[in-house]
Amino acid sequence: MSKTLLYLLFAIYLMASSGYLLHTVWRRSSIASVSLILVFAGVILQTALLGFRWWTAGYLPVTNLFATLFFFSWALALIYLYFELRYRIRATGLFVMLLNLVLLGGALPRDPAVSALIPALDTPLFSLHIIFSFVGYAFFAMAFSIGVLYLCQSRRNTQLLPDLQTLRKINEEAIFLGFGLFTLCLVAGSIWAHVAWGHWFSWNIKSIWSVLVWMFYAGMCHAKFIRRWQGDVYAWLSIAGFGIVLFTYLGIGLLLESNHPLE
Amino acid sequence: MLLNNSAKNNLFKLWAFGCSLKLAIALASAATLLIMGGSLVMHYNPAIFAGLEQETMGRWLPQAMSRAPLLVAWLPLSGLCVLLFAINTLCCLLDWLSRFRARWRKSGEYLIHAGFILLTIAYLWGNISGFRSGPHRLAPGDRMSIPEMPGYQLELEEFTPQLEPSGRPLDMVNKVALWKNDRRVVQKIVRINHPLIYDGLVILPASFGQELRGFRFHMPGIGFVDLTPGSRLSVSSGLSLVVDNFLPDAGQDRQGRVIPAGSRLNNPALQLSLFGPTGTIWQGWYVLRRPLPEGLVNAGIYLKPVEPVLTPFSLLTINRDPGDKTALAGGVCITVGVLFAFFSFYRKRATGDRPEI
Ligand code: HEM
Repeated sequence: MSKTLLYLLFAIYLMASSGYLLHTVWRRSSIASVSLILVFAGVILQTALLGFRWWTAGYLPVTNLFATLFFFSWALALIYLYFELRYRIRATGLFVMLLNLVLLGGALPRDPAVSALIPALDTPLFSLHIIFSFVGYAFFAMAFSIGVLYLCQSRRNTQLLPDLQTLRKINEEAIFLGFGLFTLCLVAGSIWAHVAWGHWFSWNIKSIWSVLVWMFYAGMCHAKFIRRWQGDVYAWLSIAGFGIVLFTYLGIGLLLESNHPLE
Repeated sequence: MLLNNSAKNNLFKLWAFGCSLKLAIALASAATLLIMGGSLVMHYNPAIFAGLEQETMGRWLPQAMSRAPLLVAWLPLSGLCVLLFAINTLCCLLDWLSRFRARWRKSGEYLIHAGFILLTIAYLWGNISGFRSGPHRLAPGDRMSIPEMPGYQLELEEFTPQLEPSGRPLDMVNKVALWKNDRRVVQKIVRINHPLIYDGLVILPASFGQELRGFRFHMPGIGFVDLTPGSRLSVSSGLSLVVDNFLPDAGQDRQGRVIPAGSRLNNPALQLSLFGPTGTIWQGWYVLRRPLPEGLVNAGIYLKPVEPVLTPFSLLTINRDPGDKTALAGGVCITVGVLFAFFSFYRKRATGDRPEI
């Protein structure tokens, strides 16, 4: 994949984010619409690039940090579009797209070359495990963004953001969908572990933290029923949850060593 | 016997406590915090936790608890929290089942709950009565008994390591057969991600290596011959050469006798016997770095060492997890539950159906 296209993609998302920023300052809905079109264009380009990488590699290339960041960013942009089209969340896009820029920006300096797939990863269970995991993470990232915006809205009460009720609804939905997909990721991963190692749960630090992510978000699927937690507490929990996700995804690889096959 | 009102009341309270969502959150939080801290303890104490992957929890935990109780205690504690949490989930599930007619639309959520309970049972079952063993070293043709499973034997029929042109290992293709009471019950090509699964047993390749078996020689008039322990070579009319032993690294003791000095190729030696029509003609060691022994020269045998004979061996892991089918059932429940719940989530939201606590 050529770096030029990657930079083009980054530029498109950067322009979309800038558009959202201008929209928050000037409050012109036409600017927000242009930003949305730019996000659309970015998603189409990113989907094409991902498809091309998949086609040339012969497998879903998500075996290194560049590839996972790229996939994560794609999933987040797609999920943002879903929520935008469903709830018209406009200015919310600024925060989500900034997060997306961080992910893509993290991928840019890395080598995009796809390497040959090692036999241990040569199974459809691997692709399922990864797809569900990163789409799940992207929903959690969305919930994190909405959580932050919920806290802003509960303090500033601005017209720019959706009302608290809608933000809460989106947050709950993102967490529920993320939890469901992450659950499927763990099911695929456990079956894979069983055929690869002969036991479906392994006590390596990455697997342990994946279970912690799962437990945390399972808890959040219930925490929303507790009336006292439905406002700020739920928003803070969404932020904390994403902290656990980030530690599981990046922290373990960067700070600790793991013998998980994807480290 | 009929229960009096206060006993009924107490039972009801106990049941309500068992079904309580707040209890669930407390238990799940306790387990989460314990495991978070424990995972870091584990990471920074690899010497204590290294064996955890090689053994089932049921076998590993008692030994580890006796060695380092303070560092390991988080495991049984968090295990207890998860167990109580699973019982709590079971109560919720039973409570829901008792009102199934009115709440059948929530089958998705409760399939997820049921799946979690099944997974907890499967983990306990597999880790209490299962085992993990190996890696076991098997050369093609070898057959080994599986001590934990009396009557079972594992045979490696063929083994081919697959290497990249650069020599990097790619895959390990093992043709294995499982024997039960001297009857072959299953045969399979086992390689990475393709284990043999039978009766709770999972047999998979762990690694491989090469074993020095002997040496290849060139013999004028005969060509190349591989001499490995047990091989017999007919040399000329009536003479035969038998290999009794092979040492990759031969040393000498004080009496000058040849003894093994190591397993790496350094000073290879063959113990040979030369038989004639009337019996043994010569017997002794041929240390390849030294000249050919006179006994062989006199019999007109000339051996020119060419290269070592290496045969690949496979390292196989044998695990047994009697809970694996229960775990799979749990996984299927959870998967179907998630797919169902994706629909019921929106339905519940549309109808405002939501428990508030
Ligand atoms: C690891 C264990 C558990 C998992 C993975 C889990 C998962 C879920 C999920 C995904 C939902 C759907 C949430 C939604 O509709 O937004 C749910 C709902 C629910 N869960 Fe759990 N849960 C677990 C344990 C428990 C426990 C222990 C209890 C009871 C103490 C419980 C009680 C409930 C209740 C009452 C609902 C709401 C159902 C409704 O919509 O009426 N869950 N659970």
